[in-house]
Amino acid sequence: MAKKKEHYRWAARGFVAPGVLLVAVLLYLPLLWTLFLSFSTYNGLGEPKWAGLANYLEMFQDPDFLSSMFNTLLWVVGTLAVPVGLGLVLALMTWNLKGGVWLRLPFLIPYAISGIGVGLIWSFVLQSNGALDQALHAFGVGDTPRWLLDAPLNTIVMIVAASWQGVGVNALLFTIGLQSIPKEPLEAARLDGAGGARLFRSILWPMLRPLTTVVIGLSIVASLKTFDIVLGMTKGGPGRVSETLALTMFNDTFVNSQYGLGSAIAVFLTVVTLLASILYLRQQLSKKNEI
Amino acid sequence: MIARITRRTALVIFGIVWLLPVYLLVINANKSPQAYDSKESWIPSGASLIDNMTEAWHLSNLGDSVLATVTYSIISPLIAVLVGAAVGFAIVALHLRHGFWWFVFIFGGTVFPLQMVLLPLFDGYSRVGLFDTKLGMVIVYTAISIPFSAFVMRNFFTGISQSVFEAAVIDGASTWRIFTRIYLPMAMSALVAIFILQATFIWNDLLLGLTLSQSDNVRPIVTTLSGMQSTYGGAQLSTVLAAGILVSLPTVALFLFTQKFFIRGLALGQY
Repeated sequence: MAKKKEHYRWAARGFVAPGVLLVAVLLYLPLLWTLFLSFSTYNGLGEPKWAGLANYLEMFQDPDFLSSMFNTLLWVVGTLAVPVGLGLVLALMTWNLKGGVWLRLPFLIPYAISGIGVGLIWSFVLQSNGALDQALHAFGVGDTPRWLLDAPLNTIVMIVAASWQGVGVNALLFTIGLQSIPKEPLEAARLDGAGGARLFRSILWPMLRPLTTVVIGLSIVASLKTFDIVLGMTKGGPGRVSETLALTMFNDTFVNSQYGLGSAIAVFLTVVTLLASILYLRQQLSKKNEI
Repeated sequence: MIARITRRTALVIFGIVWLLPVYLLVINANKSPQAYDSKESWIPSGASLIDNMTEAWHLSNLGDSVLATVTYSIISPLIAVLVGAAVGFAIVALHLRHGFWWFVFIFGGTVFPLQMVLLPLFDGYSRVGLFDTKLGMVIVYTAISIPFSAFVMRNFFTGISQSVFEAAVIDGASTWRIFTRIYLPMAMSALVAIFILQATFIWNDLLLGLTLSQSDNVRPIVTTLSGMQSTYGGAQLSTVLAAGILVSLPTVALFLFTQKFFIRGLALGQY
């Protein structure tokens, strides 16, 4: 029997090896290398030179980085307010409604379109004298804002575009949550005459809370990584005013060849992403303890 | 009753508003480049969608990109699904020593932003000759898909009784045979779900394509579309919009038919 176990030990290692190797070589090794580069000066030629915290100090004094950080914060707040909030409203509206599946469909179509596709559609809509301006002119609005050219308006309209894409899937997640609520307490509350806002506040909201946590967490992590839509709509411009951290990292690295600085931004973004997940999970755990 | 009618009416109006950008995309992609008028975005005219798509197929060699992307979104998820299943099998059925920690190691590969690996991948790929090659793209997409695949497969195999494994051993089957003839066939539904999710993810990828490729026949489709958008404007805009539809149609159709899979993937933090 002991021999058998030994045999499986080697077999088990054989089965797990391809996965471990691929992940180690293509994800962990590069990760460590980026961490190292963030403490060095390097432009792709010669050898990286140790530079201590120089890149990080430069980063926090760089106005482009600071505006990018502000934009990313806007993205985090904006995508929490609009797609998550609206998704919940939509889920509540279609809940227990015959044909709800079909009524939700228009909101789901944008979800599977790539970020660049969404950017393509919305830059067409928002370009000067584009579809939106034409519609506003028809309603007698003469001076339309320069949607994609002025900051922070361009970030705000891009958040609207991202919301257009994201609402449906949040609605779908909330719908699944609503469907999993047991029928008995709902019936009891209805018999007691609770309806509308009261039903929502005292029954639905508490029961949806764990799911809401998941949706909010996903939304924060996804918005911290915002890249595709911005590249598709403004390329981070004009100049660099609408860049997000993910795009600033990309431009500093691959356009300006500042490998050290780019790596420092990548590390910063990673730390923020991990912190957001941890803080968030802790808050959720303590909330659960209260109930 | 009245409340329901109000709700339904509100939803229909809301839904129509939501589809307006799609309406604009379709009618403008349907206009012939000769008759295209940038001041009449709301009014449909012409019937040139197919012509524009054909034109787009040749513009920027989009056709080559489509073929490359089809390759990536079939081969990479296929390998990732098998590798992930092998990981799950080793941990659950073969009781790999410290299996949980190996699992954490593999799954940990997805918790950080891709920005954290881009530069070293670019640098390393350039050094070993994988930059701008189809092989390089297949490898990176496979690696990126493995953590999620291992996660789902480990969960799936946990639901299979150990007696299945023991019975097969008594029948004299080797571990390889047990994996390929018993565990993989039983897991078909999970394998298909992972495959569809990862194929969509790869199809819509921009960042890796932008970083690791430059030729038309290697570049993934979304990266090419992004390039087309900045290169062609004005009269050719209808062609670029048609390209947008061409690129988006497969994933939108796939998503609408397989919503449940996506929800599962989403809840696991995949997107």
